[in-house]
Amino acid sequence: MIEEAGIPTVVVSTGRDLSEQVKPPRTVFVNFPMGNPFGKPFDRVQQRKILLDALHTFESVKMGGEIINLPYEWDEQFGMNLGSGYRAETA
Amino acid sequence: MEPIAYVSRLNEFYRSQGFPVYNWTINKGAPLTPLSKPLARCRLAMLTSGGVSRKDTAPFNPQARNDLRLDVIDKETPAQFFAINDNYYNHIDADRDINCIFPIERLRELQSESVIGEVGPHHYSGFMGRIYTRSAVVNEAAPALARRLRDERIDAFVLVPA
Repeated sequence: MIEEAGIPTVVVSTGRDLSEQVKPPRTVFVNFPMGNPFGKPFDRVQQRKILLDALHTFESVKMGGEIINLPYEWDEQFGMNLGSGYRAETA
Repeated sequence: MEPIAYVSRLNEFYRSQGFPVYNWTINKGAPLTPLSKPLARCRLAMLTSGGVSRKDTAPFNPQARNDLRLDVIDKETPAQFFAINDNYYNHIDADRDINCIFPIERLRELQSESVIGEVGPHHYSGFMGRIYTRSAVVNEAAPALARRLRDERIDAFVLVPA
């Protein structure tokens, strides 16, 4: 919607399959937990890198819907962590 | 590790609760608007959907459904001046450092280093929780945001869903 209004956008996503369905104009996918798209607290270097990676898509992506996989790896296995909001929906 | 299969796992979860299958938004393609000028001359703003509010405004409802509230966040807001209320994801790290989900300080640094032209007057926080009223977003809330961004002469917009 915003892209169609003439403003370039980029999405920083932690859900690759979710982004594949929605197909934002530009996406960087970070394989981190949903609450950490820019990494760990106070890790300025990592946060900055991911932000810059996102901004660079404004100059690199030439076709709408492209998803760029960023190379960073989280240091442990993580799960979906639905949060209590989902449980509340069953109440 | 492999990316988490959110779609199939959420489908499974809803099925196990006896809910109908969630009607996901599936788009076949996407528009692309090129940048009108180099990044170093662009004015940027960000949107978070992670239930982020300033400490001087009401908290978001952490269990929200169909809450189209959209907060306007002054670009100079200190990183410590935010609260997160959202029960749909784990924000324990972002509670300590908002830059984990909303890198407001990193963006200011990129401005002072002239990597970007400047930060726009405001960032935005909203569309948190679960929203099932797609047409209200598509027909009203998103166009209203686009108008605001145009009025503020934003050249590029960063969206961070949660």
